[in-house]
Amino acid sequence: MTPQFVMDGLIAGAMIGLGAIGVTLTYSILRFANFAHGELLSWGAYLAMAISGTIGMVSTTLLKPIAPFSFGWSLPIATVLAILLTGLLALAVDALLFGRLRRRGSAVIILVMASFGASLALRSLLEFIFTSKPAYFTKALQIAIKLGGGLRATPDQLLSLGMTLIAVIAVHLLMTRTSIGRSMRAVSENPALAGIAGVDVRKMIRVVWFLGAALACIAGIMTGLLVQIRPYLGHDLLLPLFAAAILGGIGSVPGAMLAGLIVGLSEALAVQLVGAEWRAAVSFVILVIVLLVRPRGLFGRAA
Amino acid sequence: MTGLVTTTPALETRALVAGYEPDLPIVRGVDLSVAPGELLVVLGPNGAGKSTFVKAIAGVAPIHGGSVTLAGRDITDVPAHRKITQGLAFVPQTENIFATLSIHENLQLAAAVLPKPVRPDRIRALYDRFPDLAIAPSRLAGALSGGQRQMLAVARALIVDPPLIILDEPSAGLSPKIVSEVFEMLQRINATGVTVILVEQNVKAALKIASRAVILVEGQIRHEGAATALLDDPILAKLYLGTGHARNHSREAELP
Ligand SMILES: Nc1ncnc2c1ncn2[C@@H]1O[C@H](COP(=O)(O)OP(=O)(O)O)[C@@H](O)[C@H]1O
Ligand SMILES: [Mg+2]
Repeated sequence: MTPQFVMDGLIAGAMIGLGAIGVTLTYSILRFANFAHGELLSWGAYLAMAISGTIGMVSTTLLKPIAPFSFGWSLPIATVLAILLTGLLALAVDALLFGRLRRRGSAVIILVMASFGASLALRSLLEFIFTSKPAYFTKALQIAIKLGGGLRATPDQLLSLGMTLIAVIAVHLLMTRTSIGRSMRAVSENPALAGIAGVDVRKMIRVVWFLGAALACIAGIMTGLLVQIRPYLGHDLLLPLFAAAILGGIGSVPGAMLAGLIVGLSEALAVQLVGAEWRAAVSFVILVIVLLVRPRGLFGRAA
Repeated sequence: MTGLVTTTPALETRALVAGYEPDLPIVRGVDLSVAPGELLVVLGPNGAGKSTFVKAIAGVAPIHGGSVTLAGRDITDVPAHRKITQGLAFVPQTENIFATLSIHENLQLAAAVLPKPVRPDRIRALYDRFPDLAIAPSRLAGALSGGQRQMLAVARALIVDPPLIILDEPSAGLSPKIVSEVFEMLQRINATGVTVILVEQNVKAALKIASRAVILVEGQIRHEGAATALLDDPILAKLYLGTGHARNHSREAELP
C-alpha cells in the first residue's frame, strides 16, 4: 500500500465535499433529494469548457498556460461565467419544474421523481450538444511535484485543494455570519415562521439554488480539470454526494465538507485494499451505515 | 352606509373563510372588528378554528373568501413576510422561535426588516425590556425554558414596534406563575397603545386582562361581549361544554 492513496482520496474528497455542500443546502431548505444535482456539476464543466474554448478562439494568448498550471487565463474567466450560467440554469429548472410542484403542494416523492426526470433530460441534452466523447480543458501535461512523505500532486491538484478550502470557508462564513445565511438557516428550520418574521422565503429558495449550483459548477470544473469532462461526470458522483451530505448532517456546511473527505479517502483506501471495482460500493456502504446508526449524521440536528 | 364610524379599526375581518383545503372551510365567515388599543381575547374549544383564524390573518393559512383589513388597508392577499412591515406582528401557537439559532440571531433575523442603522438600537431596547434574554444572548434559543421562549417569541414580534400584535395561546404549557408573568407582560404592551389579539384557553386569566372577548365555535363567532361581563356569565360554560368533546373536559376546572 502506498501513501499516495491519501492524496488521491483528498482530491476526490474535495470535489465530493464541494458538491455535497450544494446538496446539503438545497436539501435542508427544499426538503427533497434532488437527483438532478449531479447534472449541475456536468453542466458547469461543459459550460466552462465551451466558454473557455470560445475565449480561446478570440484570443490565443489567453490559452497559454499560466505556469505552473496546465490552463491559461481563459479557464478562470470561463469559470466565473459558468458559475453564473449554472446558477441561472438551476433557477430556470426551479421556475419551470420544482417551483410549480411546490406551489401545488406536491408530495416529496413527486418532487424526487421530477428530479429524476430533470436529471435525465439535462444529461441527454449534454450528450446531444457535446456528444459522450470525453473532453478536456487542456491538452497540456503536468508533472507531479514531490511533497514529501511519499506524496505527490500536480500544481492543478494543489490549486483545486486550495480553491476548495477557500470556497468552504467562504460558504461557512456566509451561513454563520451574514444576514442572508441567518435567513437561510431560519427557512431551513421553519419556513412558515421565517415568513412571519419577515423573511421572503421564495427569495431565499432562489438564493439557495444559486449557491448550490455555483458550488456544483466549481466541483464539476475541478473534476473536469483533474479527471475528464463527460456527460456522466456529475451523475457518477451522485451517490458519493448524497453519502457525504447525509454523513455530514443535512444543513451542515463543515459537515458536508468533512464527510466528503471521509468518503473520498474511504474510496481511495478501498481501491488500494480491495480493488478499483469496489470504489462505487463505498459510498453505498457509508450511506447505509449512517442511516442505520446515526441518521442525523455527524453534525445534523436531532429530528 | 354613512359614517357613524369614528375610528378606523386596527383590524377588521369580513366574512372571512379560511382552511387548509378549499372544500373544507375551518373558519366559516367571521366578521370581527378590533378597535385601536383594545385587548381582545378569542376563546373557544379545541379545534374551533382559533389558530386557523389568526393564521389566516397572518398569511400562513389559506384564505378562501372574505377580506382582512389592517388599519383601513386591505391585506387579504399580502404575503406573510410583508405583514410585519405593514404593522401586523404574529406569535404562532407552537414553534414560535428558531431553536437552532441563538437568542441574538433570532432578534437579528427579525430586525432585518428594519433599516440597517436602527437595528442595533431596537435590539438593545428589547434586551432592556426583556432582561432575561440579555443574560446569555449567544445561547441557542432551543435551550430556553418555556417562559423564556415565549418572551423571545414576543420580543421578536415587537421588534418593529407594531401597532398590532396577535398571539396564539402564549400561556400553553407554562406554569401558573409564568402564565401570570406572560399576561402581565401583555398588559404592559397593551398599555403602551399596542392593540392585542390574544387567543387563549386559559379562560379566566385571559378575561381578567382583556377588554373584550369573542367566542369561536366551529369556525363561527358564537358570542361577543365585554370581558368582565363574560367572566361570570354561565353562557361561557354552556358554550364550551356544548361541543361535548371529552378533550374539552380538562378546561372545565378553569371555568367559573
Ligand atoms: N395544518 C393543518 N392542516 C389541516 N388541518 C388542520 C391544520 N391545522 C389545523 N387543522 C384542523 O383545523 C381545525 C381547527 O384547528 P385549529 O384552528 O388549530 O383550532 P383551535 O386553535 O381552535 O384549537 C381542526 O379540525 C384541525 O384538525
Ligand atoms: Mg389553536
